[in-house]
Amino acid sequence: MAHFTCEVVYRGIFQKNLAARICRGIVLSARKAGRWGIAFGRYGDSPQRNGIPAKDFAIVADTQEELEQNMARYEPKEVDVTICVDDTLSKGVESWAWYGLQPINRLTISGGTLLMTSLQSPADLLKDIHKKDAPYSLALIRAKASFSGLWVYKEDHTEARILGALARIKPEFLSLDAVGQAIKEAEWGSDLKVASAQKAHERLESRPVKITEGNPEIPYSFEMPKWWEMREGVSIPAIPIGKPMEGGKGYVPERNPYFKKFTTRTMRPVIDFDKCVKCTLCWIQCPDSCFDVTPDGLYDANMEACCGCGVCEAVCPAKDCVTMVREDAFEDNASQWEMWRKDKGQYKTWMTDKIHSKEHITRSHGFRFRGQYEEEVKKELDSGGIEIIAGIPGENAESKK
Amino acid sequence: MAVETKPAGAVADHKEMLISGSEACAEALTLADLDVVTAYPIRPYDTVMQAIAKKIANGQLVAEYIVAEGEHSQFEIVKHASTVGARVFCGSSGVGWMYAMECLTVTPPLRVPMVCMVGNRALDDPGAFGVEHNDALVVRDLGWMLIWVDTAQEMLDTTLLAYRIAEDRRVFLPCAISADGAFLTHSQALCQVPSRALVDKFLPRYERGDLLLHPDNPITVAPQANEDWVIEIRRQNDEAMKRASTVIEEAYADFRKVMGRGPENPWFEEYMADDAEIILVGMGTISLPMKVGIRNMRAQGKKVGLVRPRWFRPFPTERIVKALSRASAIGVIDRDYSFGSPFNSGVVANEIRSAMYNADKRPPLMSFICGLGGREVTLEDVAKATDMCYAAAKAGKSDPKTHWLGVRE
Amino acid sequence: MPESTFTNATQILEPFKGVKKVTIEEYFTSGHRTCQGCESALVMKLMVKAAGPRTIVLGSTGCMYVANTTYYTTPWVVPWMHTQLGSSGSAALGTAAGLKALMKKGKMKSEPINVIAFCGDGGGADMGLGAISATLTHKEYNSLILLYDNESYANTDIQLSGSTPYGANTTFSPPGSVHRIIHTRWKKNTAGMLAAGHPECRYVATVDASYAVEMMNKVRKALTKGGPTFIHSLDPCPKGWDYDPMLSHELGELAVETGVFPLYEVEDGVVRHYGKSKAIVEGRPRKPVREYLLKQGRFAHFTEEDLGYFQSKVDEMWDKWEVPGVIPFWKERPGK
Repeated sequence: MAHFTCEVVYRGIFQKNLAARICRGIVLSARKAGRWGIAFGRYGDSPQRNGIPAKDFAIVADTQEELEQNMARYEPKEVDVTICVDDTLSKGVESWAWYGLQPINRLTISGGTLLMTSLQSPADLLKDIHKKDAPYSLALIRAKASFSGLWVYKEDHTEARILGALARIKPEFLSLDAVGQAIKEAEWGSDLKVASAQKAHERLESRPVKITEGNPEIPYSFEMPKWWEMREGVSIPAIPIGKPMEGGKGYVPERNPYFKKFTTRTMRPVIDFDKCVKCTLCWIQCPDSCFDVTPDGLYDANMEACCGCGVCEAVCPAKDCVTMVREDAFEDNASQWEMWRKDKGQYKTWMTDKIHSKEHITRSHGFRFRGQYEEEVKKELDSGGIEIIAGIPGENAESKK
Repeated sequence: MAVETKPAGAVADHKEMLISGSEACAEALTLADLDVVTAYPIRPYDTVMQAIAKKIANGQLVAEYIVAEGEHSQFEIVKHASTVGARVFCGSSGVGWMYAMECLTVTPPLRVPMVCMVGNRALDDPGAFGVEHNDALVVRDLGWMLIWVDTAQEMLDTTLLAYRIAEDRRVFLPCAISADGAFLTHSQALCQVPSRALVDKFLPRYERGDLLLHPDNPITVAPQANEDWVIEIRRQNDEAMKRASTVIEEAYADFRKVMGRGPENPWFEEYMADDAEIILVGMGTISLPMKVGIRNMRAQGKKVGLVRPRWFRPFPTERIVKALSRASAIGVIDRDYSFGSPFNSGVVANEIRSAMYNADKRPPLMSFICGLGGREVTLEDVAKATDMCYAAAKAGKSDPKTHWLGVRE
Repeated sequence: MPESTFTNATQILEPFKGVKKVTIEEYFTSGHRTCQGCESALVMKLMVKAAGPRTIVLGSTGCMYVANTTYYTTPWVVPWMHTQLGSSGSAALGTAAGLKALMKKGKMKSEPINVIAFCGDGGGADMGLGAISATLTHKEYNSLILLYDNESYANTDIQLSGSTPYGANTTFSPPGSVHRIIHTRWKKNTAGMLAAGHPECRYVATVDASYAVEMMNKVRKALTKGGPTFIHSLDPCPKGWDYDPMLSHELGELAVETGVFPLYEVEDGVVRHYGKSKAIVEGRPRKPVREYLLKQGRFAHFTEEDLGYFQSKVDEMWDKWEVPGVIPFWKERPGK
């Protein structure tokens, strides 16, 4: 009598269909061996938003009774395998307000596995992944994160690879044969995908993680008030008005303390303050009011608030002033303007290193034109790495070429 | 039209007027210095809106009077006016009340103390304008305070009391005053109307306090919530409704002190119930044929009495149980239905049965449905119900069947 | 009754003379659970930035309710209250009437307070159209109703509404093997309809947040105008339209440059196109609609025939309508 619980932690909307395919694939594969299973998305994540972390679950059990233990619940208390399909989620997840920052391995059972698609080394990943007070394994599929959208799906075989990898991690529940069968029968399946699953099964790298390893930061959390502590009339205080930054100049808005949004991003803007022409467009067009106005009239993107949409890069008229850089190039949410103000030379070195790395400035996600995903996938399917350097859009694109 | 008559045995600082229940309500609203009212036509409640329009047109009342384009908007408009601190009034009947249902659902959790008149009317289909109580009863679970009145005087007094109770910060729940269509809304009776000076002593200004929506009090009201918050919010509403009982008692005591009149018991009217063998229960104007019938039966030597609930929410469980436990049998006449409910009884019968469940003394309870769609409740109906109650008292147990009285069969 | 100084005046909000003169304060701040690149969130930010601190906002159910005030928090600095899906009109009216009653009767200090009720295309142009219409006839109450149009019921994970463009992919109109296009309805002409139907409404305008300063100035004009006013904003939606979030600004511009979304205002009965729409009326060629449509995944299933049809309808709007982009009346039909 046994059961196997699995979660997929993913970027909302961009990986919604991917997560659904994986969870359904797990259940349908396990079915081949006569097991029972359910696949569901976490209800509270809905409605999903672009980039906001979300979770889907798949539970497989030998008997209906064991399965029932996990039904009519929003999420299991623990999982055998945490599948993370975007390695920037290794920094932790804030999917709802009041939930604080939750480590990616929060639900992973002791001795369980954190399976990730990533091109980073385990050592680098473990700088971000929070320490856990139980040992587990870190298993890696060498591939970039796969992003699509609601309507157009990128067929890069990620779901097949994940299933193949799972067969290696939990062979007692998912045999490679069963996985292959389930893939073949799926609406989205093909022989080529079965081959990808097999390759992923072979190439999976795994290593144990000790309780001493990982990011030592204590993730922030909140305590929920009791019913009699809550204000009546479903009312809460508004956010206070912001304040000037320094010496009565500049402006820093107050922000929602219970939902910070930085775990939504896969890329962040890096600003070259020397190139800024103070046009204000980044500040005004940012839907998330991220930019603090500095006393010298510059704009500093607050890294607790930035969700990485990239509109600032798109609207900035100055060449190379704002560059979106992949999140895994950074280790903290430090203010860039403070860094620049403190030591302009050092900042320039740091900044140049970030924005001139082709690998790191490649746009991580987003549909731009019909046929784009097919082009991307055609390039490097086998090695699992997919390159695309799309043009920088926006009315100022011409001035930047 | 209201007619001022020379009072005989008048009450100090009151004026006697010949007015309908709707007009009495309009008098009370004028005395309460209503701020915002929305109107939409549906019979039979909208006579109250016509009466208010006259008051405004003749300069007796200064208020924003908005004719909405539907009941949903009608109620939403005053809900929002209340959140910025305006004293509001609204009302409807039958399916009009249903059309406003979304608003009716949200006002209790928003703690909006709107006072409404429901001119009880049968629900469509078929379209019928006669009295049934299901319209108002539909909100009984949601956190509305509900009260039934049976005279124009009671309508007037209850309107003033409703503002006093609903707008008390310990309560801040909406209150619906049910007035039977036609019998109350359209018939004129002699009423004692208090002076503005008296009302000002009784009814304080509406102060929304920390819940006021205004730039000087920046708050966010009703952010989206999930399973981590909703049950706590509901628990707060539960507490507010419980506190309402205390506030109701205080308000009536104060009313009696200021007005020099008024019922000792806010919760229900007792008529010849002290020594009654059979106690009949009914809400609204059904009390009138019941009282006549009871007097007739008393003359025949039958000891029959009446308990007429006023407040249905909050339900005065302990007090009603105490009042009804005295009888040898209870007969509940519902002017409503609840198809498929336990014993296929009406709503009131099921609630009373439930209230009596833990009582030490549980007299047999007979459930009747009568007077739907405005059908008159006759003295024969009352007598028949009473006889069946006597049979149950003799047998020592209830007949589980619900009896429909006055149906052609 | 205490002496009242009430005049029913509005605030005098002068237009911003350029982006550098825009209010620096944020009245809608960070920490809302919206999508990356959410243009509607930008509209919220700009709307209250334009309105200022003496404002009450009523928000009907939709993305700008659920995503913003998520799970019991808020990004609002000004007072804000939820209202029902179809209630933006009633909320504006009720709030304005409540304030007016209290100020008139001396129960509240008299001052002009902005009342803004917002709605999405679903809640506003579909369910709540009747309530908005009623409010626009009440010239004695000052309010602004702002409809943010992301062309779907977005909060419930993208279902089509009466404002969804022809043929768009939504969960209620998925392109299937037998029916490629289920949604054959053309988008409602909401702003024009409301302007035409309510002759005493003094201000109706369409806006696009890609033109941020103009959008804010329209909001300021509406709030200063007096009486009930209406603004329709087109909001590119990276989730529902399926595009790279950083393109939100560009798509907002393309919508106008292709003529799909006209920019105009109707002020005291005088209709004026502005921005790139004005240029189009004056003869500037429109970009082909395919440049706009094919950047969005929701039209990825479109054939040349579909694109041609869409183009022909947009052409009609500018070439045949009596008031281009505003009112769909023709002087006469060819042929018959």
